[in-house]
Amino acid sequence: MRITRRMPTALVGTLAVAALSLCACGSDSDDGGGNVTLNVQLFGSFGYKESGLFDEYQKLHPNISIKFTSVQQESTYWPKIQSQLNAPTGVGDVYAAEVSRIAQVTQNQADRWVDLKTFGAGDLEADYYDWKWKAGTTADGKILGLGTDIGPLAICYRKDLFAKAGLPTDRQELAKSWTSWQAFLDLGKQYKAKAPRGSAFVDTAGGLYNAILGSSIKQYYDESGKPIHETNPAIRDAWNLGVQAAQTGLTARLKQFDEAWNKAFSSGSFASIACPSWMISYIKGQDKNGSGKWDVAPGPGVGNWGGSYLGIPKNSRHQKESYDLIRWLTAPDQQVRLFQDSGIFPASKVAASRPEVADAKDPYFGDAPVGKIFGDVAQNLPVAVHGPRDGSILDAFNNGLLSIETQKTDPDKAWKDTMKNVENLLG
Amino acid sequence: MTGPDRPHSPSGDGTPAPRRSPWRPRSRQGRAGPLTYLVLIGVTVVSVFPLYWTLVAATRTNAEINSVPPPMLPGGNLMKNIDLAYDQIDLTKAILNSLIVSGSIAVGTVMFCTLAGFAFAKLRFRFNNLLFGLTLGTMMIPPSLGAIPLYMMMVELGWIDHLQAVVLPTLVSAFGVFFMRQYLVEALPNELLEAGWVDGASTFRVFRSIVLPIARPAMAVLGMLVFLQAWNDFFWPILALTANNPTVQVALNNLGQGYVPDRSVIMAGTFLTTIPVIAVFILLGRQIVGGIMQGAIKG
Amino acid sequence: MFKARRRAGQGSAPYLFVAPFFLVFAAFGLFPILYTAWVSLHAVDLQNPNESTWVGLENYRKLFSSDFFWNALENTFTIGVISTVPQLCIALGIAHLLNYRLRGRTFFRVAMLMPYATSVAAATLVFSGLFGRDFGMINWLLGQVGVNPVDWDSGRWTSQNALSTIITWRWVGYNALIYLAGMQSVPADLYESAAIDGASRWQQFRYVTIPSLRPTILFTIVVSTIGAIQVFGEPLLFGGVSGHLGGAGRQYQTLGVLLYDEGWFNYKLGYAAAVAWTMFVIIVVAVLVNTTLARRRWRNAA
Repeated sequence: MRITRRMPTALVGTLAVAALSLCACGSDSDDGGGNVTLNVQLFGSFGYKESGLFDEYQKLHPNISIKFTSVQQESTYWPKIQSQLNAPTGVGDVYAAEVSRIAQVTQNQADRWVDLKTFGAGDLEADYYDWKWKAGTTADGKILGLGTDIGPLAICYRKDLFAKAGLPTDRQELAKSWTSWQAFLDLGKQYKAKAPRGSAFVDTAGGLYNAILGSSIKQYYDESGKPIHETNPAIRDAWNLGVQAAQTGLTARLKQFDEAWNKAFSSGSFASIACPSWMISYIKGQDKNGSGKWDVAPGPGVGNWGGSYLGIPKNSRHQKESYDLIRWLTAPDQQVRLFQDSGIFPASKVAASRPEVADAKDPYFGDAPVGKIFGDVAQNLPVAVHGPRDGSILDAFNNGLLSIETQKTDPDKAWKDTMKNVENLLG
Repeated sequence: MTGPDRPHSPSGDGTPAPRRSPWRPRSRQGRAGPLTYLVLIGVTVVSVFPLYWTLVAATRTNAEINSVPPPMLPGGNLMKNIDLAYDQIDLTKAILNSLIVSGSIAVGTVMFCTLAGFAFAKLRFRFNNLLFGLTLGTMMIPPSLGAIPLYMMMVELGWIDHLQAVVLPTLVSAFGVFFMRQYLVEALPNELLEAGWVDGASTFRVFRSIVLPIARPAMAVLGMLVFLQAWNDFFWPILALTANNPTVQVALNNLGQGYVPDRSVIMAGTFLTTIPVIAVFILLGRQIVGGIMQGAIKG
Repeated sequence: MFKARRRAGQGSAPYLFVAPFFLVFAAFGLFPILYTAWVSLHAVDLQNPNESTWVGLENYRKLFSSDFFWNALENTFTIGVISTVPQLCIALGIAHLLNYRLRGRTFFRVAMLMPYATSVAAATLVFSGLFGRDFGMINWLLGQVGVNPVDWDSGRWTSQNALSTIITWRWVGYNALIYLAGMQSVPADLYESAAIDGASRWQQFRYVTIPSLRPTILFTIVVSTIGAIQVFGEPLLFGGVSGHLGGAGRQYQTLGVLLYDEGWFNYKLGYAAAVAWTMFVIIVVAVLVNTTLARRRWRNAA
């Protein structure tokens, strides 16, 4: 009898505990005293934590606390955000969307994101680069994201390795020698002839491809929203240059953002990399003793890679508080600070024109005038056309090039495979 | 997805096995020679080494793991790695969630399966055989293949990211019914039941005062097996939950797929979330082994 | 026993006892599987899962004309074979050894079952480190005997072998225990008479143990087949960022991973349901084929 009495009690106890915690999981962020926890989800490095902006914001607003996570890989991050958009309330308050995803937000998910115009975001338009602002706005004028940064492209390179291979190391001289991407690869061939053992000219064919395509107005979609991955000559050109780099052994046969690639920044497995402004801090993080070895020069084209937006999902419980936070984080003052601390280039042209940005030099990169190099590109960037699946399509192209690099796949087959992958994900 | 609900027994009409404790020493094959020991030790090393390596990697820096030759002894970097893993995912929450989920699933499954197992073993009703046959048939149905409608259901119910989305669909196990039935057929003397009924007790009273005490050992074993399975369940939780409210498997999935760059950090997360099961296993391994073998033997 | 059963006074109680099981099973097990077939005839967008559009058999037409489906089917098959066959053979051998009179019996059994207690995720994360191209321990060991580093992830055979290693590692001990349980219920006099007939140890294993284990072996084959058709976590996590493709070139994308990729990365839930339903049919067919083949062989052998 002792046993029978105990069993149900244990059962009821366990179930009660379980039930309690099931209920508790939905209500963690508001304690009723006006204190609000904002759940901010980012990828890569936005520099907010590193520059102390979250701490500062919490000090300015004692009732707000910020819970922040960052996923290293954007391509993992974004699908997770998708399932969170399907959750009821209380999953997240602020999400970042990369520029290659923003058209998905504005074209397919407008009903899932908060229209920031309702909080007065319309006034901010004049601050931003025109194309950046437009890409975060729907056709009917809803503002779904505030731009954080843009990714004007240059070339980062290892002076020490270039010198060993007998190449020039002066950034002006290099910029003059690579007037086109083909010229860039030709220089690579010179590098390869005398390079230190185990050192390739450029990191990956995919990175190269992406940088080349980044200077094109039309990329994967035309203005009417039709996919043109198969017919766009700009894609073909960029692909062919990527293939050339892979097949002539100019690439280090790595996958961007994975462990071996990270390690290669310091090991010297590659001597140059297509370098959007945010890559500056990435390099510093990976190659902690690299000061003086690295330099940055204007690249062969005027292109953009990356840059992001901050948006608020409709299932956030604290939309107003979230808006106040993202508005503050993206304000020119903060963008300037992020640039100074981490080289993240402002999406706000007001911020970009401040002397702290425009005249900035970076000692790690041999006092390169990074403000001017990236600023010149930013001013001349074309207004690229974006489409909902840009990011996934880009992944498919990168995988195609990677298979040429690592598995010696025939380029024609790799192209066909890539087309199949793209068509599969589109339809 | 690999066998989230692996049944443990040959189904069908096998002859009833002799009533004997499966771990009692047997000698029909004779005494083991040195070669046997050597091979078994080899297999043991292969079985345990990856777990040991998790410990080593979790306590080292990334650079140390990547050095040549790789380190073979634990280092002193565990706390730092765990800190870094916590920056990405709240592992305490993950472990607590997993305890809640696996505990609820274990308790629920054991209750439902004991009820049904008892009915199939000892009660007489019209569709007994048919329903039991159906139950056995469902063992072959992989529940994960219903994940898409289930996901759509959970979105509609607003349960995505809530633990009940993981608990409810996993609350029964055909194997559990089978396991309890086989146990009760043998372990529950009919005379005892008969006596209860003669006294005028209802079937539920009989269940509470006679069946439950006798079923307890089997319930405990089943509970352990179900707990283990629920703790390790992967496919459905990664669909139904997010990193905000993860179980340990969801947390590991996120850690492993690009949340952090450093292997040492991934291994620290793996280590921390695997300790609970390994600890249970070291404490109760004997019983778990017994349970699995009993499940198999009683076909 | 029959006395107890003969009592008719139980009324509706038996049904109440089995009802919870069947209700939960019907709601969360059976219904979703059947409903999968219905969903597979619709277009459903993950970004808006509450709306679906009827498309008839379009999803199946696309699926069967997609190279990725056939690729995944082939991978599922090869990974299934190279992980199931060695797994069960090794398990049988280990069970045989464990069946000797042993010191430290419990220790060996528990140690061999440790991998079973390790989750798919933990096991795969550990092994994907061990199988790393540049810093993995397996390549380091191979290097000690003069083999060049293998890029396990990028090749079709190398990656599939790595996956089969993980699967085999996790399940071998479990299956060995199942076999051991079967072996211990083999009547001892069969061995005694075989020994009297002068059968060697190997002959005893071959002619006494194996035939007695037939139902158990069939059972493990069926269960492993069902498991193999659903392999998911290992390829997903082994691939890291490209896990949802089963490697950058889909070299180890299984049907389970394809389902996940189409549903949760390409947002095509209806199409993913077609993959799920196809897998279900394959499982049913595979189980039927397994059992009939086995039954027939044994009848012939008997």
